[in-house]
Amino acid sequence: MGAAGSQLSKELLSEYQELTFLTKQEILLAYKKFGELLPKEERSRVLSVRIPKAKILTLPELKANPFQHRICHVFSTSEYQDDSMSFEDFLDMLSVFSDSATPEVKSHYAFRIFDFDEDGALDTHDLEKLVNCLTGEAEGTKLSESEMNQLIQNILEESDIDKDGTINLSEFQHVISRSPDFVSSFKIVL
Amino acid sequence: MLTEDDEDYFTEPGFHLPGTPISVQKLPSQSSLPMEPLGNHDSEAGSPPKEKSGVQQQEWILERMEGDSRPMKELPLTLSEKRRIRERQQLRMRKISGWNSWKDSQHRAARRFRERTTEVFQYTEMWRGSLHRIEGHFGSGVQSYFSFLRFLVLINFVTFLLIGGFIAIPNMVFEELQLKINSTRPVIAENQTCLLDYNPIHQGLVQFYEYVMDLLSGTGYMELTYLFYGFYENTAVDLNSFSYNIPLAYLITTLFYFLLSLVWTVIRSVNRFKQSLVNEDSSLSNYSQKVFVGWDFCISEEHSVRLRQNSLRYELKMDLEEEALKRRQAARTKLQRARVYILRAIVHLLVLALLLAAFYAIYVATGYSQQLISQDLVSNNFFLGLLVQYLPSIVITAATTILPIFFNVFSRLEKYSLTWEIKLTLIRCVFLRLASLVILLYSLWTQITCNGQKDEPDCKTCGYNKTYPCWETRLGQEMYKLAIFDFLTVLIVILLVDFPRKMIVQHCSCKLIQLWGQQEFQVPSNVLDLIYGQTVCWIGTFFCPLLPLLNTVKYFIIFYLKKMTLLKNCCPAKRTFRASSSNFFFLLVLLFGLALSWVPILYSIFTMTPSKACGPFQGQSFIWDTIPNAIEPLPQVTKEFLYFIGSQAFLVPIFLFLCILISYLVALANSYGQLVKELKVYVQLEGRDKYFLVKQIKEMSEANENRHKADHGEGTWAHLITNPF
Repeated sequence: MGAAGSQLSKELLSEYQELTFLTKQEILLAYKKFGELLPKEERSRVLSVRIPKAKILTLPELKANPFQHRICHVFSTSEYQDDSMSFEDFLDMLSVFSDSATPEVKSHYAFRIFDFDEDGALDTHDLEKLVNCLTGEAEGTKLSESEMNQLIQNILEESDIDKDGTINLSEFQHVISRSPDFVSSFKIVL
Repeated sequence: MLTEDDEDYFTEPGFHLPGTPISVQKLPSQSSLPMEPLGNHDSEAGSPPKEKSGVQQQEWILERMEGDSRPMKELPLTLSEKRRIRERQQLRMRKISGWNSWKDSQHRAARRFRERTTEVFQYTEMWRGSLHRIEGHFGSGVQSYFSFLRFLVLINFVTFLLIGGFIAIPNMVFEELQLKINSTRPVIAENQTCLLDYNPIHQGLVQFYEYVMDLLSGTGYMELTYLFYGFYENTAVDLNSFSYNIPLAYLITTLFYFLLSLVWTVIRSVNRFKQSLVNEDSSLSNYSQKVFVGWDFCISEEHSVRLRQNSLRYELKMDLEEEALKRRQAARTKLQRARVYILRAIVHLLVLALLLAAFYAIYVATGYSQQLISQDLVSNNFFLGLLVQYLPSIVITAATTILPIFFNVFSRLEKYSLTWEIKLTLIRCVFLRLASLVILLYSLWTQITCNGQKDEPDCKTCGYNKTYPCWETRLGQEMYKLAIFDFLTVLIVILLVDFPRKMIVQHCSCKLIQLWGQQEFQVPSNVLDLIYGQTVCWIGTFFCPLLPLLNTVKYFIIFYLKKMTLLKNCCPAKRTFRASSSNFFFLLVLLFGLALSWVPILYSIFTMTPSKACGPFQGQSFIWDTIPNAIEPLPQVTKEFLYFIGSQAFLVPIFLFLCILISYLVALANSYGQLVKELKVYVQLEGRDKYFLVKQIKEMSEANENRHKADHGEGTWAHLITNPF
């Protein structure tokens, strides 16, 4: 497993190809980019080192993204809950955000990213945070309270099919399935 | 609020979640996929991983996933989990029979092969990097314009290949080899006047500006190139085992590429159409879609992110406002309503008047230009000549740039909802574009056929106006000019409008100019430009066979020009353009343009007399006669079969059958819609049932808890959720 050199071993590469939606070129590019985030002395151990969250967020693809913290959190498998990422976490992330990932996988992860309090359902608080991410969180750019309430009420009215006050995964996926733009917009390419 | 002990109960598969109120939606039946695959990402950071329950849960998920027949990558799990599942599967695989494992490995190999081929295709995809870059700056809406452009480049290039391969190159080769074995032209007994006049080459000394003019308007020496219909021969080569009939090839290729364009566009729009059908009432999930799908994760520029946030906020606010407006509208008094209706009627009349004025201008301009071209005064003056040649194009372009501005202003007066406002303006613009082409063609038709009266002195001898010795080429020239002018306008607008505007806005801090601001890239109007150009190309291809090549080159250059001006001069539009919502609409308009271009071509194939002085069909009374003539020498059985296919006895039943099929499918679609509605109600009922049950559980547990407290003094209702009875 632990390829010592700066190159990925062939078996590992083909395994990654089988387990993710990435192509060979994309995996190699990811490997390169990941290596570049590491300090020089650790470059030889790309496969075993975890990169702290602050470093990951310097990637241009994530730097400006308002969901950057959520993305890191969802894809990190760190035992210490510090949102650091290993190379495989990184690949997982790129795989989900790649062109060829299926809408099911994408919507599943989108749901987890939007589920801020991680209780398995989007409630009013999650929706409020989500809308704030979309419009910018600064005081001047936020929606007013009445607008926000109206908006959340509208969303729940539309999407909360079983009328339990929250949007669960299948309801979320139902909305997403009716929006053909989702696959093209839920995408990050290195 | 929960003690450490209680958490064990909550981390079991079904009831994993802490927090009140009871998460109804976490009941096992409700979750289609496990939510927390590995590790417990609890929101309280710092809590140590919970050994026991985490592992239990994982095992449960792995077991569930193992039986899944989907490819491994489609499981929403992390890499290490997928790896473990695969190990388990392989272990199990060893146990089952050799046949099954062989089948499985075969399956996997096939999948891998498919993936590799798509990978190769992706690599050869044109402009992939450019599209990504545009997406990163402006989001997927603007990108859809560019992928549409790419689609048109491809379709034009394929059409060119067909024409080049089956018409132009054979013609060229036969001419080079002097293989004119037999001409299909029948002996003409009637008068020769129709044949004599055709000689487009300028007589006497040719001045340089005339070359330029010929190049721009397709006259003179340009007329006698492979660019135009008139240059193709009506030869048929018949070597001992090889025969090739140019007129037949010309006709069949034309029909074929039209069919190909139709099928290609339909295939492209079918997917979108399916989505828009599924979207049956997209207004019902308008807000959810904006919020859940609104963010374009491709955007990576900090500046663009801010712009995107602004536009999303603007959009959400507008929608909320619109809703309030609608509510206000519903509360309008009769008098107010009457006023709005009258206003709308006036605006509609105004729009109609403007459209009619534009059409009349186009009609008159085309007529003038046709009459003036032949006059000496005009043809001796370069600029005047050019102006007259391009008069129809200029009028059409002027109409299609000026009128939309008025439409925009008017639509604001009409007090429709915002989405309707945009749609209505778009529909008016589409109508203007395509109808102006129709008017142009109609004007040409009246010139060529003397208003359709074959008894007029000009038309009596040849069956068409004898001042047009080769009318097909003339039509081709008109389309050629339209295409060229279309390209020139794009070029001029970019050079003389977009760049200076950017410069002024950047270097002048004057308030008025800053208010004017940078240009926005308007996807709809740009796409309409493309569709217009493509329709011109389709109409012209029969009369100007190399027009698809020109169009390919034109769109190829436009791609780079537009990309440059987009990245350099434009800022993202305030109101974002959703890629899909109108994508289907644009393809529909494109199909409409295609249908429109069928009309003049089928009309000239079936009812016009082909010009007798030039072209592959000279001497025939109709272009379509080529087909029966070609069928004639075939064996009896084949001939009868082909005649049968073309007869009413065959076509009417087919037509009826298709009608029945369509009505059946419509009925089916309706019934599915009904089913969806009923299922929705059913889901709601289920949800209410569930809610009721949980409420009962809660009540019971509270009651129990109280009793518990009385017994032991300590305890929580949580124990009872997992074990209520």
